[in-house]
Amino acid sequence: MNDAQTLAHLRELFLDNTDLEATRWLALSISLVLIASVLWLVRRRQLREEYTPIWVLVSVSLVFVSIDVESLRVLTRWIGAWTPSSTVFFLGEIFLVAICLNYAVRLSRANLLIKNLAQEVALLRADLNRLARREAP
Amino acid sequence: MAANAPNAARGVLVIPAFNEAPRLATLLERIRVEQPALEVVVVDDGSRDATAQIAAQAGATVLRHPFNLGYGAGLQTGYKYAVATDARFVVQMDADGQHDPRDIARLLEPLERGECDLVIGSRFLAPTGYEMGFLRTLGRRFFVGLARSFGIRVTDPTSGFQALGKRVLALYVGDAFPSDYPDVDVLLTAHRHGLEVRECSVEMHASPRKSTLHGGLRSIWYLYKMLLAVWAASGGGPNERRPDARAPA
Repeated sequence: MNDAQTLAHLRELFLDNTDLEATRWLALSISLVLIASVLWLVRRRQLREEYTPIWVLVSVSLVFVSIDVESLRVLTRWIGAWTPSSTVFFLGEIFLVAICLNYAVRLSRANLLIKNLAQEVALLRADLNRLARREAP
Repeated sequence: MAANAPNAARGVLVIPAFNEAPRLATLLERIRVEQPALEVVVVDDGSRDATAQIAAQAGATVLRHPFNLGYGAGLQTGYKYAVATDARFVVQMDADGQHDPRDIARLLEPLERGECDLVIGSRFLAPTGYEMGFLRTLGRRFFVGLARSFGIRVTDPTSGFQALGKRVLALYVGDAFPSDYPDVDVLLTAHRHGLEVRECSVEMHASPRKSTLHGGLRSIWYLYKMLLAVWAASGGGPNERRPDARAPA
């Protein structure tokens, strides 16, 4: 058996590892806690509804792959990874980068709105002062 | 507001100020002597000292930001005020006493003659004895070259002493105007919209402030940010001409 064949054999051993019960339960628990946290934050008005879909989607995906590990194995083979857990980490990193970029865009927009509002406050306050001076006896 | 504002048919002198109480009274007094017809608007950018009170006592219109927004945002608040009050032009100058009010008349001449839309007061158009450090000189030459590569022939693209006509104001009140350093990027925006940019020689004194907008470590950030802003301005964008609520239709 040459090196390439040995590596391929090793990879299959990793992928076919059936001893994933603990990992499955852990992933399932984390995803359920994540869904519960999202709902709790919405109920406490600390998270606006429009920001929840992405987290619900992530949680539901985690639940799905925790139950159906074979789908994660298919994905792992497809992207060329060795273990299902590295696939989860890989996708997690992509998700974090994407969500950071998304929030940076939202933050830039919020900055612009805050600046415009503050300028409007300054202009309106000047109007108010002028009116107050005019009406003063 | 527009109908009742003082000097509505005249010009507005915009002075963005952040913690400038020690220098402001002298400057405003000199402006009153040199340019009594201009409506002086001091934009207090969230100062923690008596900047706003001193400006008000000197008879200036004071626009107070509820918190610090940045030099560019301060200027833009002044522009928005000028647009809302239908001012014919805006002169902008710094509050630290760097700019000489005696130069305002010279700055306004080409604008009044209708030869251009924007006049920049330049320290380097003629020898005025103004001295910069090595790195700042290098930076200035770089940005002069950058502006020239877009067809804008200026010698002092970072000068804050400028006179702006109505068409420039209509453009600068849009969302694309930067909150921090409006320099080559906004000149490029004006140039791309067919507005005529001119320079006239002015005298400038060294700033009494220890730190400047472009000094120290900020210069690295400035270089990075300005290159990105110039690149963005060179291609336009969805926000560039978005009219503000107070801008004329």
